[in-house]
Amino acid sequence: MKKILLSLVVSLVSFSAIADDAWWKSAGAPYGGTVLQGITENTPPGNFAADVLAKDFEALTGIKVRLENTSWDQMYDKAIKDMEANSGIYDFVYIEQDIVYSYLDRDFLVNISQSLASNPDIVAPNVSMDDFTTFIDYFKNGDGDVFGVPMEAFIKVYLYRKDLFEAADAKAQFRAQYGYGLDPATTFGQWRDNAEFFTGYCAEKGMECWGTTVQGHTGHPASTYEFLESIAPSFGLYNWGVSDDYQSCVENGGQLNGGRAKAALNFWTQLLPFAPPEALQSTWSEVGSSFAAGRAAQGWVYGENAAWIATDTEKSAVVGKVGVRLPPTADGVMQQAASGNGYIGYFDGGAYGIPHSSKNKEATLLWLQYLGQNEVQADWAIAGGRITHKATYADPKVVAVDAQSDGYFTLMRDTGYLYAGAPAFPFHGAGRSAIDPFIYQALAGDMTPEDALDGACAALDKVMKDLGYQG
Amino acid sequence: MYSSRTAWLLLSPTLIILGLAGLVPFFYVLYIGFFNWNPLGVNDQMEFISLGDNYRKLVFDNEFIASVWRSIRFAVVTLFFELTLGFLLALSLLSSFPLKSFFRSVHTLPLVIAPIVIGSIFKLFTVQGFGPLPHFLNDWFGYDLNYGRSAAQAFWLIVIMDIWHWTPFVTLTLLAGLSALPQDPYESARIDGANNFQILIYITIPMMIPVLIVVIFIRLMDSLKIVDEVWMLTGGGPGYATRFTGIHIWKEVFEKRFYGYSSAMSILYLYVTIVMCWLLYSVMVSRGKSDDE
Repeated sequence: MKKILLSLVVSLVSFSAIADDAWWKSAGAPYGGTVLQGITENTPPGNFAADVLAKDFEALTGIKVRLENTSWDQMYDKAIKDMEANSGIYDFVYIEQDIVYSYLDRDFLVNISQSLASNPDIVAPNVSMDDFTTFIDYFKNGDGDVFGVPMEAFIKVYLYRKDLFEAADAKAQFRAQYGYGLDPATTFGQWRDNAEFFTGYCAEKGMECWGTTVQGHTGHPASTYEFLESIAPSFGLYNWGVSDDYQSCVENGGQLNGGRAKAALNFWTQLLPFAPPEALQSTWSEVGSSFAAGRAAQGWVYGENAAWIATDTEKSAVVGKVGVRLPPTADGVMQQAASGNGYIGYFDGGAYGIPHSSKNKEATLLWLQYLGQNEVQADWAIAGGRITHKATYADPKVVAVDAQSDGYFTLMRDTGYLYAGAPAFPFHGAGRSAIDPFIYQALAGDMTPEDALDGACAALDKVMKDLGYQG
Repeated sequence: MYSSRTAWLLLSPTLIILGLAGLVPFFYVLYIGFFNWNPLGVNDQMEFISLGDNYRKLVFDNEFIASVWRSIRFAVVTLFFELTLGFLLALSLLSSFPLKSFFRSVHTLPLVIAPIVIGSIFKLFTVQGFGPLPHFLNDWFGYDLNYGRSAAQAFWLIVIMDIWHWTPFVTLTLLAGLSALPQDPYESARIDGANNFQILIYITIPMMIPVLIVVIFIRLMDSLKIVDEVWMLTGGGPGYATRFTGIHIWKEVFEKRFYGYSSAMSILYLYVTIVMCWLLYSVMVSRGKSDDE
């Protein structure tokens, strides 16, 4: 009886797969030979889309997808230039969560919900926008229409080396030195002590490792992002310290140079002596690489890197040694986040959207729906540490990787609500660019954190004033 | 004999391309420079302000002025080293020595590498933690190379990178000039008992002035508009340390999106470049004339 039931289930699954394949073939037939050009960031999720999903999609539909995986800067630069000039080079572009408000404000993107409603023949039967996690809400307008199909979503977590933290001699030395037990950090003081301790411990043992990561590139916005999106919120500074009437300096009602901001920047810059020497040239990618190479005992690491660091033996030297936790927070921050009045860090991610200038909108709609299927999510999650569908958490493959990565996916599922995306500033890039040099100078030691934030808020206020946001 | 009409017809493809690729964008940028325009603003439309408002603001823009001085400083320093090294190398390549052809080929290699790749090579070579240069400098001399922290190191590293990249161009151009010099003045000078140093100062350098002017012009203009290598290596940091005008304008245009103001910035910087070249040209030509007299 069991065998009969099993055969029935297998047959049904196979039949539904064949039926799905048949639908994609027939839906793609009118667009066979079309070449879709897209641009995305050179990250694990972006690479999986280009290397695996694009090829599968082409085999099924005959529609070729050329995905340009490039650096974060180039990706923005090229996509925005294309959309501004209306040149139609790209049929789909990566929309990072923090830039979507600018894109919507400037009417760059096709309304995907409306487009699907107008083209019922190309609406995939197995794809539903309701399958996505709440992360899709960032890509909706006020009417609930979708403008981007989420392709990645992840949180920035506290990653630590279990093997180092559990080493008996390390535990004993730490207790002797600091008077309390060695554990993953739950407070900022503990983070600093851990960092100092492991820097000395590693040096003593002749190991190439340091106490903490710092995403502190002094010429790349990655450092500003680490400060504004991870360090500052965990100290209770939200939305860049910008008030509802677009003021960022304390004297005008903002918080960017307030006590919490200054405490956060002081804490962060004081970690530098305990960070790997490459810290001041590290963006998010280098931080992931440094941690994977075993060069840091703990750190804030983007979730897109967490899964492969914990599981990929070809790329990571710390497989099986990685622990994952929520980062520490200042007093009251966790309560504010839980009640929806704050957040503890950045819920990062992005979607693929269709520019108005795309010349192949219908074929691109098919491609985006292909990416939105439940069926492709599990392998994508494992390759890229990202989850955009509710059902993916329960997939057996994901559950297995979750166990290997110390419950990273479970942490994301259970605590994702404590995180938030970037504030809805249409001037996001301009504002951040005004702040950048001050963060760089604080990291390089050319300015004190206090002076840097005073300068940063004045520069941000000037930009917001010049753009007409301040009354 | 071709008619004037045929000549214009033959020239027309070039003129059309030059017009479309050079003049139209130039006049468009000039035009945009009279407007206040930022698509991220509350008012995202182009708003005419005045012919001089953006330019007047620029004169008081400390960040822009500082970036121009930084660029000029960089251009002068690199020009000095590239000319000196290039001239010495060109002189040495005039004489015969073993493996001369091999050396000349290897020496020329950086020229064929794209600037962005040069930046990547230097980054891989010098990045703290992974690059071999900081490792050996620290091991052998106890010197801590960390251009992410030190403004001076970042500046001089870019100077070295530029010298490495462009000295071969100077060498080759000067070598071509030296090879084409007439031999009569040299023979006369030797008969009159001039030594090598005197020949260099009183014969070679004066005769090389036209070539030197060309080299200086090309390198000065190139140095003043450097972007790619710096972008790759330091991103303009730490802080403002290597934020040369090209990078500053890029950030104003593509990050802050102040299109009108940035256009004025580009035009003003073009003007500064032209004035510098004109001044240099005037000085060198008048110097050449006085030498002739």
